[in-house]
Amino acid sequence: MPQITIDGQRIETSAGKTIIEAALDNGIDIPHFCWHPGLSVSGNCRMCLVNTGFPRKSADGSLERDENGGNVINWGPKLAIACATPVADGMVIDTQGQRTEHAQNAIMEFLLINHPLDCPICDEAGECKLQEYAFLHSKGQSRYNEKKNHKDKRVELGPNVMFDGERCISCSRCIRFADEVAKQPVLTFVQRGDHVTIETFPGTTFDSPYSMNVNDICPVGALTSMDFRFASRVWEMSFTDSICPGCSRGCNIKVGVRNNEILRLEPRTNMHVNEYWMCDNARLTQYKFVNENRISSPMIRKGNTLVSASWQEATSQAADLLKKFKPSEIMVVGSARATNEDNYLLAKFAHNTIKTNNIDFLRHIDNSFSDNSLRTNDRTPNAHGAVEVGVKHEQPSGVSMSNLAERIKQRSIKALYVMDGDIAANSSLTDALDDLDCLIVHATNHNSTTERAHVVLASTTYAELEGTFTNLNKRVQYVQPAVATQDHERIEGMQMSRWDKFGAPNDRWARGERRNCRQNWEIVQDIANMLGAGWHYTNSENVFKDISNHVSAFSGMSYDLLQEFQGLTLGKAGSPEPKGVVYQSNYMKPN
Amino acid sequence: MSPLLTDILILLAKVFLIVNGLLMAAAYLVYFERKISAWAHNRIGPNRVGPLGLFQSFADVFKLYLKEDIIPTLADKKLHFIAPIISIGVAMAVYAVIPFGDSFMVGGKEVFMSVAPGVNIGLLFVFAMSSVGVYGITLAGWSSNNKYSLLGGLRSAAQMISYELSMGLSIIGVLMIAGSLDLTQIVHAQAGGKWNIFLQPLAFIIFLVASFAETNRTPFDLPEAEPELVGGYHTEYSGMKFGLFFLAEYANMVTASAMMVLLFLGGWEMPGLYEALALPAGSPLVALVQFGVFAAKLVPILFFFIWVRWSLPRFRYDQLMNLGWKVMLPLALANIVITGIVMTLLKHYGIM
Amino acid sequence: MNVNHNTEKDRLNFWEKLYLPEIARGLGLTLRQMFKKPMTRQYPEERWEPTGSYRGRPVLVLEEDGERCVACSLCSRVCPALAIEVQAAETTKEKERYPVKFEINMLRCIYCGFCEEVCPEEAIVMSKDYELIFTNQEDAILGKDKLLIPIAQLQDRLEFLRRFK
Repeated sequence: MPQITIDGQRIETSAGKTIIEAALDNGIDIPHFCWHPGLSVSGNCRMCLVNTGFPRKSADGSLERDENGGNVINWGPKLAIACATPVADGMVIDTQGQRTEHAQNAIMEFLLINHPLDCPICDEAGECKLQEYAFLHSKGQSRYNEKKNHKDKRVELGPNVMFDGERCISCSRCIRFADEVAKQPVLTFVQRGDHVTIETFPGTTFDSPYSMNVNDICPVGALTSMDFRFASRVWEMSFTDSICPGCSRGCNIKVGVRNNEILRLEPRTNMHVNEYWMCDNARLTQYKFVNENRISSPMIRKGNTLVSASWQEATSQAADLLKKFKPSEIMVVGSARATNEDNYLLAKFAHNTIKTNNIDFLRHIDNSFSDNSLRTNDRTPNAHGAVEVGVKHEQPSGVSMSNLAERIKQRSIKALYVMDGDIAANSSLTDALDDLDCLIVHATNHNSTTERAHVVLASTTYAELEGTFTNLNKRVQYVQPAVATQDHERIEGMQMSRWDKFGAPNDRWARGERRNCRQNWEIVQDIANMLGAGWHYTNSENVFKDISNHVSAFSGMSYDLLQEFQGLTLGKAGSPEPKGVVYQSNYMKPN
Repeated sequence: MSPLLTDILILLAKVFLIVNGLLMAAAYLVYFERKISAWAHNRIGPNRVGPLGLFQSFADVFKLYLKEDIIPTLADKKLHFIAPIISIGVAMAVYAVIPFGDSFMVGGKEVFMSVAPGVNIGLLFVFAMSSVGVYGITLAGWSSNNKYSLLGGLRSAAQMISYELSMGLSIIGVLMIAGSLDLTQIVHAQAGGKWNIFLQPLAFIIFLVASFAETNRTPFDLPEAEPELVGGYHTEYSGMKFGLFFLAEYANMVTASAMMVLLFLGGWEMPGLYEALALPAGSPLVALVQFGVFAAKLVPILFFFIWVRWSLPRFRYDQLMNLGWKVMLPLALANIVITGIVMTLLKHYGIM
Repeated sequence: MNVNHNTEKDRLNFWEKLYLPEIARGLGLTLRQMFKKPMTRQYPEERWEPTGSYRGRPVLVLEEDGERCVACSLCSRVCPALAIEVQAAETTKEKERYPVKFEINMLRCIYCGFCEEVCPEEAIVMSKDYELIFTNQEDAILGKDKLLIPIAQLQDRLEFLRRFK
């Protein structure tokens, strides 16, 4: 085990690591542009130059001491790049001294020679490494009086990636990403010297399903997202940790919200799930349904139309409808899009309150979506969790999703309680739903199921709820609200931008719509209590405590532990996987 | 007409004249207060309503009438209602005994230039009434159920009682010289230029300072000290109830000035003037001239009141009490003693 | 240095304790003022033309080919009263960003001029406009239609900024 000294701090590290890795493991950040923990080392930006050396030994092999008793260091003749220099036992590294600082200043000056400094226009401003290092490691003055190079601007490298040649500092992160992670090696440097720029090979386009990750890893504003371009400044948004609901991988994401509207999603490092990446499909689709076409309040069918109602009216209507049927005539449908908490209470509702064993949920399998990277064929975030907490077909007497249509036709199922999801979109069920006497639906968006429903209960999307999802590897991960609802304007711990904090009702920038929706388990609890259940859950954590007490796979889990370890595997809450040091690209960006 | 009916009609006419005249005087005093403060600040002052802004006061009063009358929920509603009435009522009642001149003859009937002529305790009545004025302010402060109001009311009570003492003592010298409490008699005693301001200069100064305190004017306006007490006792008053307090304050100012004129400046006496005019005794013209002389003495004192307000800062509360009890009271007592000694000596040597 | 102000010299003497001479002086001062010429301006009739250094309503500079603003949102960020809201969008011009929405809430604005100071394009400047009257809160939120002022009308301020900023 080599022992090294960085800035006077003695560190024990493992052989084979580079200086930058060893430093990062111990919380020391060495300035860098081209190095990325998820990519190979190219060592071409030179920003991570550090002063290295070894203690001087005298002829008898003992360490020489200076007058203060410290080691005398034989500094190297030149600085070394921390990203490509492996650590050696006894190595002494100086990341802040005069020599290192001088090198950093020089590199910054070189990089800024041809950089247009159009930060006011550039989308990256606020999350730009170059901008941050210009604050931290630069003199703030340019000695370059000649004309700057002009290169191509607004080049579309792919359908989602826009390239600005002038801003590029030629770190090659995007090229290495395309080669190594996206496995679509179409990007390359062309030209030489200060004319160097990035292009796609002729006839190709960078359209990998993971292409948008280059917008994140680009240390400057050379690569920007076509979807987000100029939508908002990063400092105007709040970024809330969340889980992508797009497939059963459960990629860790951050939800960027401004004025109660999601503007973008970005990946959050979790080495056990998605590492540093997420897919373009999720970035492009998994926020729009939160902003648009929402069911913004509960609704009751009056004649042929659905009319808005209060929660009291809607839930008591649902309870009254359910009372009219025999338990065996009622089918309860859970959801793989809802949280463990929601499904747990729904199963409890079905078994203990309605006393039916007709319970199941609809799987959303799309084999065309899966690949051998992050994307999976199950397009729901919580199929495992739903089964685990009790939403599963009761053999042999219970009705399952596969024979539901048939049973409805036979009139043995007359009432359907659907927690989430558009089951009418499933072709086998579309017609059958019309034959029901009672259809109660929890829904986030208007869809073909809500059109047929007798009672629609407005439920929260993943961005508005607190709860847990269980991914395909049985990892339970915590989700917290990023968007305010009428019930929860400001949940404790919710990320808030400056605008969220200081907005008043007469500010147009604080009037984003708050929907009158509730978490599924809250709605289920209200209806269950009307049917005599007598539950007293006050928040999601209460429900989760109940799950961890009653469902063996969840035992030992708590929201605090889930947040601490970024998720725990079912049945292994006692031996969590270490979270490791999380690589953070920016210091000044708001979380 | 029976003599009784005539008397009643004359009395009503006088009351009508005095009440309206006083309200007008108070209204225009507000106007002049605003004008003088403007001049002191190198401003112009009200000049929009009517020529030179002369109708500004009517606009102000009209505004006060139209404003919402707010009564705090937890206020003592009866007292809250009565307090301003006490204030303005008392301020006006004083004028029953204040003479503006001697008398004149109309149709063989002698008409006196005051509502209640020849009241032999006139001066005492004035002091009694002005003491009752404290009730208005203290009750306003108490009934509003507001800490600022209460503090203002308490301060006002303490201040008035403190200064009433020295004020009352300061005029004893005057009484000793005049030998009467009847204000007309006191004025007559000053005939021929023997104004009490010359005979009793110390008493005049004490009376002047005490008047400022009694009328809650700067530098003694602690009951309504805006920086500390919002509005003092009238914090919770709005609309015309506030207007009544406002009018009462200015009416009191006129009263205090009138008292100074009567007690120290010889009232309507002006040496040589009446002889020079040579008007027939008892003619209404004489009365008019007397009133003119009275007014001519009154106006500079009113100006002085306003002038001081826009020149001097407010006293601190302890300074106010120190001045009242440790300076003015001993001085007033000393004044009585000295006056007594001097008068005795003068009598002894037969000069008086 | 130990300064003791309560020395014999600093204490008030008898005349000073009497206050009266000082009161007389104070009264004299105000009396003198009463005879000076009033400085008041009769506002709606006589108007004041501010100089270039005056910080009135912030406005956007309008050039021949459109606004200077590139919607960088720095003014919005620096505004201590959060009066400014900017929404950027893309254009085909050389400066590829422009404000599709630029709103200043004049009820929030405190006329500090930070927006002007921070602006990298000299696109938002403080005008001479001090007459701001609104009859409701919505009217007080000025959009681009009211904010864009032709550059010819802002020469005084731009000249002031050139010389003193």
